[in-house]
Amino acid sequence: MAITAKPKAGVWAVLWDLLTTVDHKKIGLMYTATAFFAFALAGVFSLLIRAQLAVPNNTFLTGEQYNQILTLHGATMLFFFIIQAGLTGFGNFVVPLMLGARDVALPRINAFSYWAFLGAIILALMSYFFPGGAPSVGWTFYYPFSAQSGSGVDFYLAAILLLGFSSLLGNANFVATIYNLRAQGMSLWKMPMYVWSVFAASVLNLFSLAGLTAATLLVLLDRKIGLTWFNPAIGGDPVLFQQFFWFYSHPTVYVMLLPYLGILAEVASTFARKPLFGYKQMVWAQMGIVVLGTMVWAHHMFTVGESTLFQIAFAFFTALIAVPTGVKLFNLIGTLWGGKLQMKTPLYWVLGFIFNFLLGGITGVMLSMTPLDYQFHDSYFVVAHFHNVLMAGSAFGAFAGLYYWWPKMTGRMYDERLGKLHFWLFLVGYLVTFLPQYALGYLGMPRRYYTYNADIAGWPELNFISTVGAFILGLGGLVWVYNMLKSLRSGPKAPENPWGGYTLEWLTASPPKAHNFDVKLPTEFPSERPLYDWAKKGVKLEPEDPSHIHLPNSSFWPFYSAATLFAFFVAVAALPVPNVWMWVFLALFAYGLVRWALEDEYSHPVEHHTLSGKSNAWMGMAWFIVSEVGLFAILIAGYLYLRLSGAAVPPEERPALWLALLNTFFLVSSSFTVHFAHHDLRRGRFNPFRFGLLITIILGVLFFLVQSWEFYQFHSHSSWQENLWTAAFFTIVGLHGLHVVIGGFGLVLAYLQALRGKITLHHHGTLEAASMYWHLVDAVWLVIVTIFYIW
Amino acid sequence: MRKGIAALSLLGLGLAQEAHRVAITHPGGSYNQEVAFLWPWVYFFSVVIFAVVAGALAYVTWKFRARPGDEGEPPQIHGNDRLEVVWTLIPLAIVFVLFGLTAKALIQVNRPIPGALKVEVTGYQFWWDFHYPSLGLRNSNELILPAGVPVELEITSKDVIHSFWVPGLAGKRDAIPGQTTRLSFEPKEPGLYYGFCAELCGASHARMLFRVVVLPKEEFDRFVEQAKAAPPVADERGQQVFQQNCAACHGVARSMPPAVIGPDLGLMGNRTSLAAGIVENTPENLKAWIKDPLAMKPGSKMPGFPQLSEEDLEALVRYLEGLKVEGFDFKALPKF
Repeated sequence: MAITAKPKAGVWAVLWDLLTTVDHKKIGLMYTATAFFAFALAGVFSLLIRAQLAVPNNTFLTGEQYNQILTLHGATMLFFFIIQAGLTGFGNFVVPLMLGARDVALPRINAFSYWAFLGAIILALMSYFFPGGAPSVGWTFYYPFSAQSGSGVDFYLAAILLLGFSSLLGNANFVATIYNLRAQGMSLWKMPMYVWSVFAASVLNLFSLAGLTAATLLVLLDRKIGLTWFNPAIGGDPVLFQQFFWFYSHPTVYVMLLPYLGILAEVASTFARKPLFGYKQMVWAQMGIVVLGTMVWAHHMFTVGESTLFQIAFAFFTALIAVPTGVKLFNLIGTLWGGKLQMKTPLYWVLGFIFNFLLGGITGVMLSMTPLDYQFHDSYFVVAHFHNVLMAGSAFGAFAGLYYWWPKMTGRMYDERLGKLHFWLFLVGYLVTFLPQYALGYLGMPRRYYTYNADIAGWPELNFISTVGAFILGLGGLVWVYNMLKSLRSGPKAPENPWGGYTLEWLTASPPKAHNFDVKLPTEFPSERPLYDWAKKGVKLEPEDPSHIHLPNSSFWPFYSAATLFAFFVAVAALPVPNVWMWVFLALFAYGLVRWALEDEYSHPVEHHTLSGKSNAWMGMAWFIVSEVGLFAILIAGYLYLRLSGAAVPPEERPALWLALLNTFFLVSSSFTVHFAHHDLRRGRFNPFRFGLLITIILGVLFFLVQSWEFYQFHSHSSWQENLWTAAFFTIVGLHGLHVVIGGFGLVLAYLQALRGKITLHHHGTLEAASMYWHLVDAVWLVIVTIFYIW
Repeated sequence: MRKGIAALSLLGLGLAQEAHRVAITHPGGSYNQEVAFLWPWVYFFSVVIFAVVAGALAYVTWKFRARPGDEGEPPQIHGNDRLEVVWTLIPLAIVFVLFGLTAKALIQVNRPIPGALKVEVTGYQFWWDFHYPSLGLRNSNELILPAGVPVELEITSKDVIHSFWVPGLAGKRDAIPGQTTRLSFEPKEPGLYYGFCAELCGASHARMLFRVVVLPKEEFDRFVEQAKAAPPVADERGQQVFQQNCAACHGVARSMPPAVIGPDLGLMGNRTSLAAGIVENTPENLKAWIKDPLAMKPGSKMPGFPQLSEEDLEALVRYLEGLKVEGFDFKALPKF
């Protein structure tokens, strides 16, 4: 795409531009707008909740309606607002700017991620218009309640799976961007803290999302085709669901926190006019949170009756994680200490965050004390605690980011007084809403109660006060929306660097031009504050030669692919499975991927210089594979548990070992053929390369045919509805089969590219990614042969 | 002892109009004594940490605000290793102290108590079944326990996951289908305790309450002894109506295995509340419940009986309210 000044465009042109854009800034804006819209929507849900609870025995909502609103409130806030705003919203807009890059590593994947994310929101909300209503099982959808509830759950589960695709691709993209596209000279230890936090959150999500995918997939299979791991009637274990679910859903609260800690660090440093206090310690504390964050999930399940030793271990790590989290707070205060605090709106949110998060952190330590947790668990104390860390914590961080980067993102300043009024209404509203809820928890009020009796001392009064607080928050929300609209309509034009920020995004115009930087970036980065350092040294910035700037082309196919995948999930959710529509949409989706693969990413052949020396496709796929390994690992761990505890017993007649060995032969040799094909390509021997690729694809097809025949045979012998081993077999081996299909399709895409002459010595990302994936499929198969066919 | 009950009743009269005073630190039993032990510790550290950090925050905000006309940059300090080590180690030390206390208390509360009275607790959407295998006794929605005697609850569910919680006595324990979880503690203070289902279980999750009645040991023994007799028949016609309309789901035997579909009503007249603890047990409420249960509890499996004539309904209610052990008024107990 050439750099030209754009004429004023009509509505349709703007819409088409958004649908086809691969510009990280537009995608970041769409993510941010969608996420904050989700916040507003879920905020309205919370007002309905508080209205119902204002007085005892209220009949404003029925129990079922209340549960639906409760579920949508939680799911929307968590999945569509708090995980997104700080990570994918600001992350997409700001991270490439902070790195001095022109776009993310994989721009079209990025566009696909956004549209899939939007599809997931629509899926979750559209359930309301179907006869089964919205999901009413809580955002945690515990089994077996979720298996017996109405059709809203199907939409919700489908939404989670679609969102899973979106987030994994988005996370891999971030990590690849951060590894590959930093400006020359910016080492990892010179990255802004916000970039570190996006990196940490992405890695954590890649590692842990598998737990949610496993839990979701298994409940969906249970509901749709009766394949079950959890049903106690055949020896399944409902608690295993919770292990899977929390294996993801605890780490994810740090995904919901880390990016905001990064934002707060940037804002604190800028508005205190000082560098961060203890930059390295803050990075290490963050990594400590990532590691410990994966070892505390069972504290959500203390009351399920696991062994005391198991609980003590998890209590220990839970208490321990308070230390790095506390360190982050202290370093924030240290950053402010001795500064010259510019009392602007973004800084207010930082100060509010520190105060509130302190409360939330302290009550979190209380919750780690297991005998107290037995009391507090699922009570209003917990409700108050997690709103303390998420609403008054992360969401305050989100608003700090929004007010901080608003001038950069929109090119407009906003009304400071309204921004501060918004802050004060939120702070007071928050405290009035949630401090009474701590007291309610102490007085024994369970969470998720749609109504309560009048005869318990303190409940009616405290609930009423809490409702008043919620409406103060609602008022704050109105002020916020008004302020944003006013700024967009009539706000003064924003300068390049209104706050005197130190990081590279402030070097661009407000809003930034399509190619971000007009200047050549110096290659010296003495600290994480390049603008400060360069100004001190008097470095003069040279303009960049426009002929050196290349931007990726717009593309319709990411949107098209996400839309057809969305339609596929709608068909899965709304109709009995299998059905003809899901195959139709899957075929349309595959068509989109073919068109995508055959389209040029850049108009000019561009040599990508990446800092790691690996291509962007390689780096993205490497990190995506982390999540795939996680998915198989967690399912296999669940299978081993069921097998070793004696719950999963193989049926008399099992799939034959000799067939599996034949398939092993196909798959292992195909790993060699693809390796040699790639080797040939690198040597520039195109004909042997294409031939090797074709042989690989044929071997994959053979594998698939043999396995389909085996499934068909075994299915008539043993039912996944009656035997846990059979259920585990079909789930894990079937999931592997799905990976063979996906990997094989990736190879087909590379083959098509080769036929069209689109694969060159330097430009073969699809092949690289597909062949890495193919090796993964191979490695997983060897494990599967061992634990399902040999054992 | 009658005198004991009488004394409690007198005390109760004063409180009769008063609300339940529910609190998780109420030392109603051995479990909550551990909670009451931990609470001051964590409270102390919480207040200290809050005061120090919030104080520092307030100081920073006040002291280091940029004043008008105050240009120029502040000292560019990048950190202080010694300070950073200190503020890592202090929280670490506090965490270790609290963790030590936690581990000790956790082992204490999860240890089975020998010689405990066993009660099987089963959750259903949306009510509770309590069965005492060693006493041959069964009741629904009101768990009657002796003070000063350790109990071990064996908790399970017949449908979805529920959670058994009596804040004034002990922490909660989940009721999981296909599994049995255990909760041991010794109730100490006689009273009428509020109980809740604490795991989202359906449209009437909030209507799945119960009560725990803790009686002095002698009262409890007397109650159990008298409950072994067949329930009296207070109204013959009511019994007929019951047989024709209710007996398919409900038992009144106090000891038989449950009819699975509905709660056992053999001690109906002794209950303080109806429909799993949601309204007071009065003839009017009982009539309203029988006519239209779904109005009180959406999602309940009990169908309404609007077709019963007024006389039949009155007779049925008389019969049900007569199903009791005479001489006990649990409503008069102190309410927690």
